[in-house]
Formats: sequence, structure tokens, C-alpha cells
Amino acid sequence: MQLQRTARILPLLAPVHLLILSVIVLPSLYVVWLSLNTSSFGQAPSFVGLQNYWRVLTDPAFHSALLNTVVLVVVAVHLELAVGLGMALLFASGLPFRRFLLVAVLAPYAVSEVTAVVMWRFLFDPDAGPITLALRAFGLPTLDWSFEPSHAMGLIGLLTIWLHLPFTFVIVYAARLAIPGELYEAARIDGATRWQAFRRVTLPLLGPAMLIALLFRYIFAFRLFSEAWLLTKGGPARSTEVVAIYLYQEAFSFNAFGPAAATAWIMVLASLLLAGAYVLLLRRGGISHAH
Amino acid sequence: MRTERLLIGAGKALAVIAILFWSLFPILFIAMSSLKPGQDIFAVPPKWLFAPTFKHYAELWRSWGVFFDGLLNSLLITVGATLLAIVASACAGYVYSRNSGRWLGASLLGLIIIRLIPPIVVTLPLFPIVNALGLSDTHLALILLYATFFVSLGTVLMRTFMDQIPRELDEAASIDGASRMTILRKVILPLAMPGVLAVAVFVIVFSWNEFLFAFIFTATKAKTAPLVISEMIGSIDGVDWGILFAAATVQLVPVLVFVVFMNRYLVAGLTAGSTKG
Amino acid sequence: MSKMPATTLTRRGFIAGAAGTGALLAAGPGLAAGKTLNVLSHKVHQTVLGSGDADLLKEWRKANDAEIAFTTFDSNPLQDRLFREVSLKETEYGVGYLIDNRPTSQIAALFEPLDAYQSKDAIEDFGDIAAGLVQGMTVDGKLIGIPVRHATQGLFYNEALLEEAGISAPPTTLEELIEQAKKTTFTAKAGTPVTGMVLASDLAVFPVMFARAYGGDFVSPDLKLVPNREALESGLAALRGMFESGSLPRSYATTKNDDQVTWLQQGRAAFTVLPFARGAQLNNAEQSKFPGRIKAVEFPGSAAIKGKVPMSSVVEAWAMSIPKNAKDKALAWSFIREVSSKRVTLGMAINGNGPVRVSSYADAGLKAKNPLAEVEAKVLKTARGAFPPFPEAARAQATFLEEVQLAVLGRKPVKDAVSAIIERVKPMMPA
Repeated sequence: MQLQRTARILPLLAPVHLLILSVIVLPSLYVVWLSLNTSSFGQAPSFVGLQNYWRVLTDPAFHSALLNTVVLVVVAVHLELAVGLGMALLFASGLPFRRFLLVAVLAPYAVSEVTAVVMWRFLFDPDAGPITLALRAFGLPTLDWSFEPSHAMGLIGLLTIWLHLPFTFVIVYAARLAIPGELYEAARIDGATRWQAFRRVTLPLLGPAMLIALLFRYIFAFRLFSEAWLLTKGGPARSTEVVAIYLYQEAFSFNAFGPAAATAWIMVLASLLLAGAYVLLLRRGGISHAH
Repeated sequence: MRTERLLIGAGKALAVIAILFWSLFPILFIAMSSLKPGQDIFAVPPKWLFAPTFKHYAELWRSWGVFFDGLLNSLLITVGATLLAIVASACAGYVYSRNSGRWLGASLLGLIIIRLIPPIVVTLPLFPIVNALGLSDTHLALILLYATFFVSLGTVLMRTFMDQIPRELDEAASIDGASRMTILRKVILPLAMPGVLAVAVFVIVFSWNEFLFAFIFTATKAKTAPLVISEMIGSIDGVDWGILFAAATVQLVPVLVFVVFMNRYLVAGLTAGSTKG
Repeated sequence: MSKMPATTLTRRGFIAGAAGTGALLAAGPGLAAGKTLNVLSHKVHQTVLGSGDADLLKEWRKANDAEIAFTTFDSNPLQDRLFREVSLKETEYGVGYLIDNRPTSQIAALFEPLDAYQSKDAIEDFGDIAAGLVQGMTVDGKLIGIPVRHATQGLFYNEALLEEAGISAPPTTLEELIEQAKKTTFTAKAGTPVTGMVLASDLAVFPVMFARAYGGDFVSPDLKLVPNREALESGLAALRGMFESGSLPRSYATTKNDDQVTWLQQGRAAFTVLPFARGAQLNNAEQSKFPGRIKAVEFPGSAAIKGKVPMSSVVEAWAMSIPKNAKDKALAWSFIREVSSKRVTLGMAINGNGPVRVSSYADAGLKAKNPLAEVEAKVLKTARGAFPPFPEAARAQATFLEEVQLAVLGRKPVKDAVSAIIERVKPMMPA
């Protein structure tokens, strides 16, 4: 019986699992082997144990890439969540043309990273960008991103937020819509102010959904590559390099496959750690309010 | 009381304007600039009224033939990846929806976790493999890659949507003598269409826009449109920004229109895909 | 050395190339050539070979019943791809284009030694090919590539802007260059703000040239790291001074090779350093606001070395090589032999290629077409690569540039940057 069932469902499961096994799992395991060897073009791999990990973890360039990534993730993702939350509450408070506005907010989701870079690079062009010109006209400081590394990071962050705000917004907004109206009614009868209702009703009930959005965005922001690569290539002086660019440089510019593979596994482990937290949340069922 | 409501209304209006500006201004400005005559693109202050011209589009057509090849490649790859992802996830999603068990539960969890592995990790080992299989610079390589990175999310989504279809329907069909495949095709899939569309939105938007894999695994024959645009960023002279904007607009419009029409499924997919598992 | 030849490629050449490939694909099996030679190269190598009626290899194709299929990339991705291909079990590519500072012993071992081919089926008048370039392609005593193109760096200047600033002649020493760059940092009559000099920050070429102007270097041909510390310090201090006084653009850190071309064409900068072969593009009436007014001279050394040491400009050379794991090596050699012939070398030179044969420069047709041929030939005599090949060269270059940028932008004192270069690059040098 059990066997029969297995035989019946296996062909249906096979495509998904074969694809994942051959494209993601086995190559990832091969990366583990690569990370324990030193190799380059025309050089047979030789086993070096954990030396590559040590080399990456003690490389100042990796530290700066990691720091950049963490700062970017922390600042951009939380800012994004705050804005997304504000927008979700605004939408929930009743707006005219809500469907149209929703579609407008979703629009950046359709934009590719490459096209987004074309847009934002031009908007903030130091000489002719319309936003630069507008800021200058109002006597405001402009983003000097081609010179100041911190400004370049700011622009990368802005770009990331712009591309991913639709995701965060939708998650939080859907959770907000799922909160029954009676709860607010009850709070009002109890004499709660708007602020109290927000603190006591909205925030606790949105909590799980916000946590989910945060974890997802942590994981996805941690692998950020294209925006930074297309905007600054990690420059000036490697000061805007993020971990994924570090990996790319090691692998494809310096042809040092060992350290590149070690970096890759450090990324995987960090992602899995975050993923573990996510799965734990799912299993605890704490997010059943979110839909 | 009255003034308070007025203030709130004004505040909301301002917020709405800010949201619209933030979301749409970059898109509209680029689309508009692609229609400006060359010297107006860099006009200070920017010109809002101008005689629109399709000059940059004509120039794009004339001098960047590869861009249109790239669009065609993107289209082929997107269609292929979407079909593959939908078929594979529908089959697996059906199994996970109608069966349970320790192994199945564990493998579903595995799927969810694997989805969170950064794609850049597999670029390093995949190159020799793709090459050994003779798939380097082919459409098939990207189709397989793109589909794979979405089948896990696709499976979870399909399962969620199929869970809402009453099992009695399967049973009725099965008593009528229909096979599992037939039930899936004739009974379940039509009812799970919103799920299929949600998966389709994800895969289509991703495959059409993807940069990293295309950057590493294609050379000339399977080069996609985003890759050609990235090359244009690097090789275009200052005066030719108009062509770049035209290319960006051409690449963006189809997928933007698609997202606008499919916004319901996108929202449904985004919520179900991250909060269920 | 990333994108040097990238924009030698004119838009028209590009269409021609694209159309050619398109036609080839469309014709498909109809052409039914017996064989196909797959070539991995930069776009520019394909472009200079011409297409259609002007195809320099028309007869070769016919005689060998073979088609040539080019796969093209930008320089660095091209080298990465080539090395990845040659390290596989077998590759489709018969010929790969190699940059001279890339083949280390390990990499050279992946390519077919060509001495045997040369002795069996020799290239026409091999001695005519510049000896230094052949030397650069000889690794561990084996010839692994036949030189096909060189890009020698010269100092380009906008004559009109110099005149406006009251300068009558281009500089003959580095000090004069710095002075003139300062003078030409002004608002031109046309209203354009002009920056004295524009240089890309992601190429080792420029800091190396500045160091050489004081008799120093980054890595010498015999693999000495920073052979003359004071010279490198003077070179970087000169660049820093120029940035500080505004005669290098404020966007220096993100300036790319292509920006140099645009800035000069638009009259936004008065000086730049580019390969001489760019002369035609800079003066192209369709793209340039100053056609015919952008000239070039040898990059000047400092007053200190004038008359003592010849200024050694940077030259980047390309060679054709055959992967050891290639399938049809005989066809590949036949292609290389044809491309290296006097006729094709001259034909490519007229299409804008830096010719590797000394005799090409004597040709009247080329002289008429390229007014810079003479000065280029002179500079080439003492020119050498930006640095010699060694396994960690790419990482060494990245580290060098990082410190140079910090020094030029003023985030680190020049002396400290030079110390850091020596300290950080030392472990990357071969033992």
C-alpha cells in the first residue's frame, strides 16, 4: 500500500526534485569541495582544509564587504518596512482610487535591476540629473555618489528600497486587511485613542507578518549584486563592495576558486540561519493572522 | 472637528502624491526622455513640453540589432521557463496538497529552505557542468536555471491554492475512472487557475528581468535583453542616452503592462508564497 | 587594462558586424561550408578584419571551405572566458585572442606551443613582426601566441581649447603638462566647463605612466615590485595635485575609459591618455564637436628624466593562440597564418588596428589614412606593457588601483598609499 502510493506520486514529484537536486543541491555540495581546495585555471586542485575560510575571514576586503552588506541590509530593509507599514495603514484608512494606487505602488516590481540602474543613475547624474538639479535649485545638498562612498551606498540603498518596497508593502497590507474590524470597534468603545488602538491592536497583530517580511528581505538583500555591480562595480577603491561582489571578484576576476567557494558557503550558512528562523516562525503558526 | 478632517484629508492627499511620485516618476521620466530630441535630454531645467520624436527608437533599431535579438531570446527563455515551472510545480503541488506523511513534510520543508540559497553560489560550479552538457550559451540552460529557482516557491503556491479545492471533486472523478493525471489536468488545474497565474507572474517577471545568470552563462546566441542594456550602459557615449532610454522603455513596457493586468495574482502570490509553508 | 579597445569599434562597424553575423545565421546550412572555425575574441578584432566585400579573409574562407564564427566579449570577461574554456576537457574554440599580460606559466601551459607550426608552415616574413611583442608571447621558452594588435598609449589634446587658454604648443615635460592642465581648467567660450585632464580610475595604465615619467614603475619587467619608491610617490603626488586643483574631474573615482573619449569629443576635457588608434574616433565629425582639432603626442617624461631615460609608454598587445584542447588545430593555424600575413596586417591597420609589423608603418596608404602613425611608431620603440604577467597579477592590479584611488582622492597620504602598495602586493609576487 505504502509502496504503491510512493510509486504513484513519485513521477509527479520527480521533475521538481530532479531540477532542484541537479541545479542547486549537487552544485552546492561541489562548492563545499571546492572551498576545501586551492585551484585556479590550469592548476589541479590541492586539498588545503579550512585555509580558504580562514583566508576569507581574515581578509580586510571581506570585512569591509560584509560591513557594507550588513549596514545596507539593516538600514535599507528597516526603512523599507517603516515606509511599507505607513503605506499599508494609509491604504487601510480608506483612499479613493485604491485599485489604481495599488497598481502604481506595484509598478517598480516589474522593473529589472538593469533598467532601474539606468533610471536612477540618470536621475542622480551629478551634472544633468533632474533630481540633482532640483535639489540644487532648492539649495539642498545633492548626492555626490560618484565621489563619496557613503553617498554611493545611499544610492544603492535607495535603489534597493525602490525595487522591493512593493513586496514589503503587499505583505504588510494583506496582514492589515486581515485584522477584523470589530477589534477596532471594541477598542473605540473602550475609549482607546487612535494611537492606543495602533499600539494595542494593529502592531501586535501585524507583528508576525512584519517579521516574515523582514526575514525575507534580510535574505534577499544579503545576496544583493546587480544594483551595486551596475552602479559602482564596488568602487571607488572597493569601498562600496558587498559580499556578492566580493565573491564575484574572487571567482571571476582573480580566478581564486577556493576563497570564492568559501565565500559562497559563508553566504549559504548566513542565509540558512535566517531561513531557519523563518521556518521556525512558520511552524509555530504565529502568522496565521497574515492571510 | 471639521478642520481636523480637512487636515487629515490634506495629509493623505500629500502622502498619495508622494507615493505616486516615488513609484512612477522614475519610470515616466525615462519613458518621456526616450521621446525627447537629443539635446533636450540634458536641458537645464528639464523640458516638460517638447515635440516628441521616435528618433532614438529608429536609431536603436538601426544600430543595436543585438538588442532586438536579445528581446527575442528573453521571450523564448521566459516562455520556456514559465511552462516548465508551471508543469513541474503543479504536479508536485498536487501531491503535497493531497498526501501527507513524514517524508513528504520533510521534503517540502527542504524545498522552502533551498529556495533561500543565494543563486550566485551555484554559478561557480555550474559553468563546467553546463559546458560539459553542451548547454553553454543556449536558451535551454537559462530555461532550466530560471525554472529551478522558482519551482520551490511554485510548488508551495500550487499546494496552497489546491488545498482550497474540495477533495470530493477528486474522488468523484476518480470513481468515474479518471486517472490521476487526468484529474489534475481536467479538474484541479482549471480550478487552481489563480495559483497557476500567480506562479506565472513570478517566473515571467523574474525570467524577463534576470541579470546575473544571463551575465555568466550566455555569450552571443542566447544573450537576453537586460544583458544587452547593461552593455549599452558601458559602451554608450554621453550623447546617446536617448537610445539607452529607448531600449530601457522597450524592455520595460511589456512586463509592466503584464504586471498591471495581473496585479491581483501578484498580490495573492506574494502573500501566499511567504506566509504559508 | 579592461576596455581599451572597446570603443575603437565604431557604431557602423558594429552594425556591419551584426548584419554579417545575422546574414550568416540566416543563410545557415545554405552556405554549407565544410568546416567552421570558432574564434573567441574582442569585437574589435572581428571589426578590423572587415566584412562583406571588404572581408580580408574572403579568399581564405573559400580556399579552406570554412566559415569563421566569432564569439566576442569585452577584454576582461573575454580573458576569463578563454581561460575557463581552455581548462575544460575539450573546447569548440579553435582560436582565442590573448592579452599579453595574462599568460602566466600555468596559463601558458594550456595553450598549444606554436614553434613547431612555425617551423613546418611558417608565417610570411616572421622577422618583420615587432620582436618585443613576440618576446611577450614567449613563456618558458615556448611561443604560445602570434601578436596581432597593439594599443600604444599617447597623450591626446584638444588644440582648440589649448589655443583658448593661450597655449601655443603641447607639453614636452610632465611639469608642463600639469601646468597646461591647470590652465585649461576653465569655462570655455562656448560656455562648457572644461576639466584640464580626464583619466579613468580603474586602469593601472595611468598611474603607471605617471610613475614612469619619474623613472619608476609599478612592477618592472623583471618582476621587481615598485623598483623606485620616490618615483612612484612623485607620480601619485602629481595625480593627487591635479585632482586637488580640479584639473582631474571630481567624478574621477567613477570615470571609465569610455568617458575619456566622450569628454574629449564634447570638449569637456582638454587632455587625456588613450591608445593612438583612438585618433580617428576622437576626430570623427559625427560624434566629435572638434573634428580635426584633437591631436596626439608622446606622453612626456618629467624634467628630471628628460634626456637621461627614455619615457616608456604603456603598450597593450593582443595575440592569437590555439587552445591545447581545441579540435581542429590545423585549421586554426591556417587562420593565424593568414591573419598575420603582410596583406592582412596592413588591411587591418587601415581599418584602425595597431599593426604588429614594422613594415606596415612604411606604407604610404596607412600614413595618409592615419596621421598619428609616425609618432606611434616612435613611441612603440620604447613602450612596454603596464606590468609583466604573474599568477596574482589581476589581484595585484586591483590592490594597486585601490591604493592609488585613496591617494588621489586624498583619503590617504601618498606616502602611506605607496607603503601600503608595497606591503599588500608583496605577498602576491611570485617567489
